[in-house]
Amino acid sequence: MLIDKIQRLGHRTLSRCAAFGRSGQILVQSIVARPAPLMMLPLLVKQIYFVGVLSLVIIVVSGAFIGMVLGLQGYTILVDYGSEQAVGQMVALSLLRELAPVVTALLFAGRAGSALTAEIGLMKATEQLASLEMIGVDPYRRIIAPRLYAGFICMPLLSMIFAVVGIWGAALVAVDWLGIHSGAYWANMQQAVDFRGDVINGLIKAVVFGFVVTWIAVYQGYDCVPTSEGISQATTRTVVYASLAVLGFDFVLTALMFGDF
Amino acid sequence: MVQEKPTGEVAALPLDDIIVEIKGMTFTRGSRKIFDDISLKIPRGKVTAIMGPSGTGKTTLLKLIGGQLRPDAGQILLEGQNIPTLNRRDLFIVREKMGMLFQSGALFTDMNVFDNVAFPIRVHTSIPEEMIRDIVLMKLHAVGLRGAVALMPSELSGGMARRVALARAISLDPDIVMYDEPFTGQDPIAMGVLVNLIKRLNQALGHTSIIVSHDIQETLSIADYIYVLSNGKVIAEGTPDVLKTQDSEQVRQFVDGLPDGPVPFHYPAPELMDELMAGGVFKC
Repeated sequence: MLIDKIQRLGHRTLSRCAAFGRSGQILVQSIVARPAPLMMLPLLVKQIYFVGVLSLVIIVVSGAFIGMVLGLQGYTILVDYGSEQAVGQMVALSLLRELAPVVTALLFAGRAGSALTAEIGLMKATEQLASLEMIGVDPYRRIIAPRLYAGFICMPLLSMIFAVVGIWGAALVAVDWLGIHSGAYWANMQQAVDFRGDVINGLIKAVVFGFVVTWIAVYQGYDCVPTSEGISQATTRTVVYASLAVLGFDFVLTALMFGDF
Repeated sequence: MVQEKPTGEVAALPLDDIIVEIKGMTFTRGSRKIFDDISLKIPRGKVTAIMGPSGTGKTTLLKLIGGQLRPDAGQILLEGQNIPTLNRRDLFIVREKMGMLFQSGALFTDMNVFDNVAFPIRVHTSIPEEMIRDIVLMKLHAVGLRGAVALMPSELSGGMARRVALARAISLDPDIVMYDEPFTGQDPIAMGVLVNLIKRLNQALGHTSIIVSHDIQETLSIADYIYVLSNGKVIAEGTPDVLKTQDSEQVRQFVDGLPDGPVPFHYPAPELMDELMAGGVFKC
């Protein structure tokens, strides 16, 4: 009985190690074997459209509402201390440092990550990947690399759009609705936000999250069991693993960037 | 050359010019041995058929030749190059000489029929688009689907999709074309055309064709040489005439489609009565 449990544990550990190795292999080979620029460009543009442009609606709407909620909550709390003028800086710092990269990455994992996994999984199930191989085309170059690069490029851009729309949404509530002075809102924000410390650090987080989410998504698709159930499970794993990885990496990056050690 | 099989069949190998040679190959999936130390030779420029009951690993054999799977032991030599030992880059170079028709068609769902057939040409050559158009139309005309050039794969029937996939497989006129169940799902008219097409392509262009099929009459009519697989072994080989006249029980069972005989119809399992009498609920 005990031996069985130890065996199962060992088997599971080995499987996880093998899976991690395979995902690393896919990542390295896709980055190394990226297509020639002329061939890459149309594939990349297409994937940027699917991964980035089609994610815009959910990013813009979420950014606007989260910004509006932040503005409302910030005002409600700060007004008790007579500091409602500081809503602008509170909203900007929250969004730029944390909410924009993290929430964008979570939404990106749910929309684009799951779509990437499902698409690649279905290509595997319908033998399109095998067919590419037999035509003499490396699927890492043709299928995986453009999607990986599209994810790396789109995530930081979407995160920035999220932050801008969120700040605008907060201004809509705090300035236009609740009556905070417009000059105070924007001036406090300008004074409090440091370009390198806040904007660049937020962008670095977005780049890391984009890398992690896209990597998990393409690996899960490429390595899935090519059945409807297998694709469904892989899609779920993408969203769960990517979300957990984003939250975990966020803590590590925040500690490195803003921790006072 | 006359070859004596361990099972007693006598077969004549038609050519000494071999393009693919499999030597002592063993392949296992899970705990099941799909191939057990098999050896076979595919003659250049001929139509070679791989036949046998379902689940004997015919498609797996094509994937092994294409380097999509690696055997546990043995060699798969394509013009002297051992496929399982090639690195990824060399493997893709070797595959440029191959064309494969997949059982499902495996068309690219984001491209229309024209772009699917043009894809290998665009990727591997720098032929101008005007010429690509002509080549694609000729290939599609050969499979009777020139009129379907603008359709998407989702708008094709299963049989049509496989014919488009055939046009794509031969678009670059490869040295070897592997056909996985090319006749499945075809109506009698299309099947007759395909049988002729495969034979004519083989004769006109000197392709080496490897056909995996269950359609005995069609395959016997065009194959120059046939291997019959069962239980991980080559149970018979020879020209169609040799196989048709063989008295071997195994070959007769397959050619005549008999359920009972030396080739088991059932996947390995305990006796039905033992299993029924054991009772209980099903457990994996």
